[in-house]
Amino acid sequence: MANMAVSRIKREFKEVMRSEEIVQCSIKIELINDSWTELRGEIAGPPDTPYEGGKFVLEIKVPETYPFNPPKVRFITKIWHPNISSVTGAICLDILKDNWAAAMTLRTVLLSLQALLAAAEPDDPQDAVVAYQYKDKYQLFLMTAKHWTNIYAGGPHKFTECDSKIQRLKDMGIDEHDARAVLSKENWDLEKATENLFS
Amino acid sequence: MSADSDMEYSDNDCEYDDYYNSGEDCDVERLDPKKTDPEYFEFVCLTVEEVEKLLNESVEKLNTILEITPSLAKVLLLEHQWDNQVVVDKYRKDANALLITARIKPPNPLLSIPDPLAPSTSKDAVVFGTSSSVSRSSSCSNDDSPRNALISLGICNTYNTVAPGGGIISQRCQMCPVCASSQMGDKFFSLSCGHAFCKDCWSTFFDTQIFQGISTQIGCMAPMCNVRVPEDLVLTLVTRPVMRDKYQQFAFKDYVKSHPQLRFCPGPNCQIIVRSPEVCAKRVICTSCHTSFCFKCGMDYHAPTDCVVIKKWLTKCADDSETANYISANTKDCPKCHICIEKNGGCNHMLCFNCKHDFCWMCLGDWKTHGSEYYECSRYKDNPNIANESVHVQAREALKKYLHYYERWENHSKSLQLEQQTIDRLRDRINEKVMKGRGTWIDWQYLFNAAALLAKCRYTLQYTYPYAYFMESGSRKDLFEYQQAQLEAEIENLSWKIERAETTDLGDLENQMDIAEKRRTTLLKDFFPVDF
Repeated sequence: MANMAVSRIKREFKEVMRSEEIVQCSIKIELINDSWTELRGEIAGPPDTPYEGGKFVLEIKVPETYPFNPPKVRFITKIWHPNISSVTGAICLDILKDNWAAAMTLRTVLLSLQALLAAAEPDDPQDAVVAYQYKDKYQLFLMTAKHWTNIYAGGPHKFTECDSKIQRLKDMGIDEHDARAVLSKENWDLEKATENLFS
Repeated sequence: MSADSDMEYSDNDCEYDDYYNSGEDCDVERLDPKKTDPEYFEFVCLTVEEVEKLLNESVEKLNTILEITPSLAKVLLLEHQWDNQVVVDKYRKDANALLITARIKPPNPLLSIPDPLAPSTSKDAVVFGTSSSVSRSSSCSNDDSPRNALISLGICNTYNTVAPGGGIISQRCQMCPVCASSQMGDKFFSLSCGHAFCKDCWSTFFDTQIFQGISTQIGCMAPMCNVRVPEDLVLTLVTRPVMRDKYQQFAFKDYVKSHPQLRFCPGPNCQIIVRSPEVCAKRVICTSCHTSFCFKCGMDYHAPTDCVVIKKWLTKCADDSETANYISANTKDCPKCHICIEKNGGCNHMLCFNCKHDFCWMCLGDWKTHGSEYYECSRYKDNPNIANESVHVQAREALKKYLHYYERWENHSKSLQLEQQTIDRLRDRINEKVMKGRGTWIDWQYLFNAAALLAKCRYTLQYTYPYAYFMESGSRKDLFEYQQAQLEAEIENLSWKIERAETTDLGDLENQMDIAEKRRTTLLKDFFPVDF
């Protein structure tokens, strides 16, 4: 690991630890190994969004060429969001790609991701299915996102209707997450979801 | 003998070229090639050095007119397709706006960003900013002479060391926001945006950018700052010769690509750059590697089809061929109940398993009416009632149409790929004739000319199929297909005559060559778009 990358990460680590966001518990960062190449981040779902009340864990990999190339970040916590893959957690955010600037920091990355949760960009989607639902059936999108936040990120909103539909598919021998993913994709239409699974 | 034939062959090479460029119909074309030859195109093949010279002349010209550095001139020319006049006009009209759109200057004057890593050092940036920020804001608001605006911004040397000439600042330590280390002030560099970073960070940054193939588009390292790094700062701070070379190569590529009159030859490993004053879809043949391509889009030359259509066609071919071939070759709908049937063997007398209808697989007509005329139905005919048919049938009809054109396109393309073999065979045959004492080698040369012309005609014919495919039905399409058929017939005649040429009497063959070439030019004149 290049010297500059390590010294930068060490410094940024301290910066995040000292920042006021950590005091408010809205962002968090921890080390995974001693080489400073892999970190774990955590962001709180922003208020007044379907992600409110959830804690989202992020995998942060620091490249050799950091800070001249961006860190590789992905969601470990499953999330229903147009710019984040519901399957892999891959993120579509300009500052993690072309618009990365060497003077940006892990703190700015975490805050930008929080901002992304608050303001989705469905016209530039990472997950086309979610984006379509966001644009076409916004109320369903809100419910799905809140449901996912509840299940995977510890959010407060429980949807018994969703749970019972998932249970129906589970009874047919489908894995719980697969059932949830298919139902979410099919706008919670149980018939279509079944068709999708068994055709 | 082998040495001889080699020599003779290379002579032929020249002859092919001459034949078309300045060949026999020269007396006709001398009138005005632009009018008589629809494929006439003026271009020159330049080496990298020649193009560098050409670009440098543009840079120097701008340099003298506007009194700006070559580095800045290059950025401005790159942004304006190397149109000197446009740059000069814009510069005289509103230099400030020009510099902002070219990303030499930040859109918002003066940024004394609080450094996110080390807020305490931002004071230094302000200290640096004061002297220039005063003049900056005044020049922006008053909008006085653009030259003054430039000088006061320090744009003339396009970058500043944060503390030029020492003074108090250079004695102080400053924190670099990228590497998070404290260094003396004179180690810092910034662009017109005022974002200061240490020398080592800049050069490592340049290395990583150049490594990724980025050159003229390298920007400032500050977040949300899009000010571009000009060439002179890169070349000042990048010291490794390998990286400097790479930077210059990539920048050169960007310059050529932004220049409307220049095109890289697409030939493998070819260094030639083609220049033409007009940008149109005409054929260029590289003088170095002999690759032939369309000047406008850089793909294989495609007259009479235009660049957009040929791209559509090639994408379609890449996408559809497999599935389309299978569906078209293997399935049909029952003419009565429209169920989809895959024929996996047996004869053409079909009995639908669904509705028990007897029909003919070839024409889909009722089998009972067929009688003995069964083989009549192997001809391809357009279905006039297509609009009333089911979606399935319509889709299949569309595929059928596509395949009709695709097969012909493919066929001619394959014939052309075999061109070298044809020429080899021709040479063997000529050798044989000469050995038997039937004429001399020179007497038989006309056959090579004929073969080259045949290839040229076939090439055009190949590219008439995508054109026809995307053409709307109507009288114009009828005319096109008529001319296409004429060309195809003459090409087959010519091919036949070349294959069977038994004497050195060239009258008949030359006549046939003339007819074929005339058909080809007529078609191109009528249908090849002359777009500029």
